[in-house]
Amino acid sequence: MLEIKDIHKSFGDNEVIKGIDLKIDKGDVVVILGPSGSGKTTLLRCLNFLESADSGKAYYGELHVDLKSVSKKDINKIRQKTAFVFQNYNLFNNKTALENVTEGLIIGRKIPKGEANEIAKKALNKVGLSEKYNSYPSELSGGQQQRVGIARAVALSPDIILFDEPTSALDPELVDEVLTVMKNIANEGTTMLVVTHEMSFAKDVANRVIFMDGGIVVEEGSPHEIFVNPKEERTKKFLRRVLPEDYTFHI
Amino acid sequence: MKYILAAFPELLPFLKVTFFVMGLAVLFGTFLGLLLAFAKMGKNKYLRIFANGYTTIMRCTPSIVLLFLVYYGVPAFSEALFGLNLQDIHTGVYVVITFTLQFAAMMSEVLRSAIESIDHGQYEAAVSVGLTPLQAYFRIVFPQAFVVALPNFGNGLIAILQEGALAYTIGFVDIVGKANLIIASNYGTHTLEVFIALAIIYWILAIVIEKIFALLEQFFSKGSRLFKTS
Amino acid sequence: MDLSFIDLPFLVDTFFVALSGVPITLLVTAVSLLIAIPLGFFLALSRIYEIPVINRIAKIYVSFVRGTPIIIQIFVLYNSVPLILTGIFETYNINYSVYDIHPLWYGFIIFSFNTAAILIEVFRSALGAVDKGQLEAAQSVGLTNTQAYLRIVIPQALVVAVPNLCTATVNLIKATSLGYAISLHEITLKAKVAANVGYNYVEAYIDIFIVYLILCMTVEYLFKVYEKRLKRFRYAKV
Repeated sequence: MLEIKDIHKSFGDNEVIKGIDLKIDKGDVVVILGPSGSGKTTLLRCLNFLESADSGKAYYGELHVDLKSVSKKDINKIRQKTAFVFQNYNLFNNKTALENVTEGLIIGRKIPKGEANEIAKKALNKVGLSEKYNSYPSELSGGQQQRVGIARAVALSPDIILFDEPTSALDPELVDEVLTVMKNIANEGTTMLVVTHEMSFAKDVANRVIFMDGGIVVEEGSPHEIFVNPKEERTKKFLRRVLPEDYTFHI
Repeated sequence: MKYILAAFPELLPFLKVTFFVMGLAVLFGTFLGLLLAFAKMGKNKYLRIFANGYTTIMRCTPSIVLLFLVYYGVPAFSEALFGLNLQDIHTGVYVVITFTLQFAAMMSEVLRSAIESIDHGQYEAAVSVGLTPLQAYFRIVFPQAFVVALPNFGNGLIAILQEGALAYTIGFVDIVGKANLIIASNYGTHTLEVFIALAIIYWILAIVIEKIFALLEQFFSKGSRLFKTS
Repeated sequence: MDLSFIDLPFLVDTFFVALSGVPITLLVTAVSLLIAIPLGFFLALSRIYEIPVINRIAKIYVSFVRGTPIIIQIFVLYNSVPLILTGIFETYNINYSVYDIHPLWYGFIIFSFNTAAILIEVFRSALGAVDKGQLEAAQSVGLTNTQAYLRIVIPQALVVAVPNLCTATVNLIKATSLGYAISLHEITLKAKVAANVGYNYVEAYIDIFIVYLILCMTVEYLFKVYEKRLKRFRYAKV
């Protein structure tokens, strides 16, 4: 349902994405791993047009765009079908949790307010925040804020949700509550593309893992293939560094 | 002492004039300042240079110089360039023009820095849930920038009110102009008392404005929650 | 575009007349700053350390200066300082007439009075921006309070203060344009006198405008250079 062909992106002289092909099917839970600077966050942001790619082609369902010359209308159309969860949550500071979730529904999708409130409440309940409808972001912990961020994405019923290191800004004790929520929505069949360092999520929940380094896809496959039988030397080096124990384990 | 108190009833009616003229200047100046702020943050290089240059020039020009430039210059230039005879235009118009120009320069900086202080992630989150860029600015970024700008707007208000005290130099009869008339009619005696009365009026005005803005800031950052029901 | 109504020779001549007022402007500015900076600094300290009586007086003083127009401060002080001085002279039997005091002295008093109050706030916020830990660390390695301030705190506070000092200086220079009200022969007065002869007001004020513009932009540039030098310690390479 989402396919990218030969995407390139440079910042000035620095080429950060050096030609990547990506294909995501409905129901996939894809994790992108890689060292910092490998371009994985930039790739994600390009998919949502928060950065503009230099070249490449993209297919969002039936919509076919050239990434260099995509129109504002098409960008807005694509954003109606995708959702983004940010590393530092980016909740609307001037709105309550409920309003954060309904904003995209009422203004972006023109859903009437009553219906939007119902959808939003369901989403907030799903992430365990039924007590916090009327709280402002400044009153919530980091984990709670990120859960609102996920509810905000889920409520839009998007074709795919993009997660940009959703737990990296959280204190360790708060990471689990967010990962649990993510696991739950994955089990419901949501299509997810996740950039993360949380190996447990990649091992337990993902059905595909992509390893990126230096702007290209080095290796991709099922979690078993990547973690137990990595083929590339770079992949092995990376895994050795991030997994403290000997990484033979069972899925 | 009694001369100070005697001055108040003669001066206070003219406060209306001061308010009216400065009010207009603030209104037009804020609007112009908003346009300039957008110019400074926009993509067009020439607009940016113009807006920044305008601010620098206003920042470096004393108020009375600007007043006289406008007072003598606008009629002279409009006569020469457009053949318009502006002899009968009320002095107040020139006062409003001058302080509109000054206030706009102040506001362009206040508004620009307030908007830029809002984390860009707010805008990104807004467009990622499907808002158009325009909607993202008006519903998410500007309301937050407004709260940030409030204290500096208040300071600017007090500042322009005080610059406005110089309007008397081109013959405008606001509260300061009236004070000078009173002094003249007293043959120059009791000048100190009249000026002290003026100083007190302005001082109280400044304190009142400060307090009002402190309340406004409180209301906008927390108060709205007081009206929420679960 | 017919600009012949502008008297070009007059424009050029008056420019130099206006320029001749610059020394007095600079003199008043410099002396006022010289008095206002130490005064403002110590009063700022009195506010930070909450020294009983002085703290209150300083607060009211700042409120008055910020709450009233400069021109009114000029009028009030110009009309009251001679009275105070007359009182002092008579008490101490000084045989000097207040009317012989050159307006320049009043200028110094008035503009330092105004600027010192502004600087109290500038220094308060600058000193407040320096982490308290800096002072504590200095004291713990054995520096006296004075040494700690001079060698550690003030240099760091200065970086924060410089932009505001620049604004205060530029505002002071602009304020001196009101010196004509007390007959100071600065830029505005000189050019106005020249203009009154032939009613060439537009040209005179254009010249005044240009002179102030050049003056202010020079001051801003100098401050920027100074600020860059001060910031060296932030980006020092190992």
